[in-house]
Amino acid sequence: MTSLATREKMPMADAALNQGVATADDGRRLGFALTLPAQLLVLFIAVFPLLMQLYISLTDWSPLDGIGWWQAYELWNSFANYTDLMADTRFWGALGRTALVMLICVPAEFLLGLGLAILFMDDFVGKRVFYSIMLIPMMVVPAVAGYMFFMLFQSGGPVNDILSGLTGMNVSIAWLSDPTTALIAVMIADIWQWTPLMFLILLAGLVGVPEDQVRAATLLGASWWQRFRTIVLPKMKTIIIIALAIRIIENFKIFDTLYIMTGGGPGVATETISVYIYKVTQQDLIWGYVAAIALVILISLSILVSLAISRMNKKKEA
Amino acid sequence: MMNRSVSFEIFRYAAILLALAITLVPTLWMASMAFKPIAEWSAAGADLTWWPKNPTLDNFRFIFGTSTSDLIVALDRTAGKPILSSLLSAVFGTLVAMSCGTAAAYGLSRFGSGQNLPLALIQLRLFPPMAVMIPVMIMWAFLGLVDSWWGLALIYGIVTLPFAFWLMKTFFDDMPREIEDAALVEGCSRTRVFMKITLPMMRPALASSALFVFILNWSDYLIALLLTTREWVTIPVYMASLSSSMTGQLYGAKAALGLIAAVPPVVMGIAIQRHLVRGLTFGALKQ
Repeated sequence: MTSLATREKMPMADAALNQGVATADDGRRLGFALTLPAQLLVLFIAVFPLLMQLYISLTDWSPLDGIGWWQAYELWNSFANYTDLMADTRFWGALGRTALVMLICVPAEFLLGLGLAILFMDDFVGKRVFYSIMLIPMMVVPAVAGYMFFMLFQSGGPVNDILSGLTGMNVSIAWLSDPTTALIAVMIADIWQWTPLMFLILLAGLVGVPEDQVRAATLLGASWWQRFRTIVLPKMKTIIIIALAIRIIENFKIFDTLYIMTGGGPGVATETISVYIYKVTQQDLIWGYVAAIALVILISLSILVSLAISRMNKKKEA
Repeated sequence: MMNRSVSFEIFRYAAILLALAITLVPTLWMASMAFKPIAEWSAAGADLTWWPKNPTLDNFRFIFGTSTSDLIVALDRTAGKPILSSLLSAVFGTLVAMSCGTAAAYGLSRFGSGQNLPLALIQLRLFPPMAVMIPVMIMWAFLGLVDSWWGLALIYGIVTLPFAFWLMKTFFDDMPREIEDAALVEGCSRTRVFMKITLPMMRPALASSALFVFILNWSDYLIALLLTTREWVTIPVYMASLSSSMTGQLYGAKAALGLIAAVPPVVMGIAIQRHLVRGLTFGALKQ
């Protein structure tokens, strides 16, 4: 698509140049042509689908009704989906669970990643190899990682085997069939997979802290913790915010590993918001209702993010 | 900034080795499982086998349908087509994202076109895919794109467009403009400069961005789960569907498939580790 557009432009642009038209004009036209495909894709995936979602969310439409989505007005129910949502305890439960997973996983990943990054700051034998190995978990396909942990947490699996070895007792916890341990297991899988991301970003930040300042502080007799708190952390602020923001956003979407491990069960014990929406989409098939849930989430997220951005901008000005 | 005392070095190695062990055990367990015969799959009654006692390639033969010696069940379809589906959708999705993303990034970086794109694309990345899939499923059904690798490639291209755009934008921003300017003075048109000078110069950046985007596309599970049903299911969807009433979980077979799925992105990721930070932070941070 792109190469076609540019190739068509080429003779025209050449002609323009020969005729002495300003290159700025030429550049503007080329710039427009180059950004067009991306703009069209964004329109295609954002504007029309959102309008469709809004429309369907005001109806009881389901793909099983035998009428096209555009005829969904026949099943108009005004704001019933939205009022239902307010009373939907399963939805609020899933939202709370998603928040709980985030509140445990993201700080754990941050602290572990930061600790590892500090250990990796200066040179030591084997650093490069260790560094590469450290990155493996986040490269593994999340669904496959989910399957790995599904195997690890079987009652006759390696986790219980290691625990038995360590405690000397015969541990046989059925991790994935108990509500509490199942939630712990899916969080461990998430922490395993995404601590490397924190490690990678934070290490890049730590390496970027100007060394002379740290050395000067050392000469002045500042302790390790004083140097870390007063020089390193302030310099790392933006990077820490970026790393946390990325993990918060991604963790909110948590689905693949978790769904493969537990399918959201036992019961609804590990049902996060994505799993909940997926189940309503595939099993209950009330797409009008799903559209309403999805819109509520999209709008809340947009508000949260614009609030965060405006706060950051204000701080920058101050 | 560290005190390089002996006790600290000991602590460092101990902590790192522990972290490495935790990192590797899940992966190694799956790799070992992939080569275990059915008798060693689960520890029912017996001791847990950490390393296959009788290593075998039966699991791989089984998922490709050439041997079912130990497994009484026969698969109704083999892993060949899902692997092909994963490959085609990820490769063409990467092509869509990279061509649109690179062009747009250059347009913005050099000519200031499409000022709305950076934020719009970040927002695209922000939303959980599950919250936008209803209209996508309806549109894909309407366009006849459901259960096809090309339908997957299109949505993958859109989903990873933000990464392609942001990565290439930072690379273009970093690139010195003197060479382009010199060519312009020589009388080259801007289009020709882009095609003949800029793009060839950016080859390493294009390659690592494309690998990064490919890893993301290859890793998808949720979108393929929703948009494919039978013909063109991808590896993760196929893997999740592998189980049988006779033997329950087909541990070894799934592990073999998981190993096949896991190896390409791990190798590629290590190959481009220099650019990973830039990719993961939308270019906010360059290593």
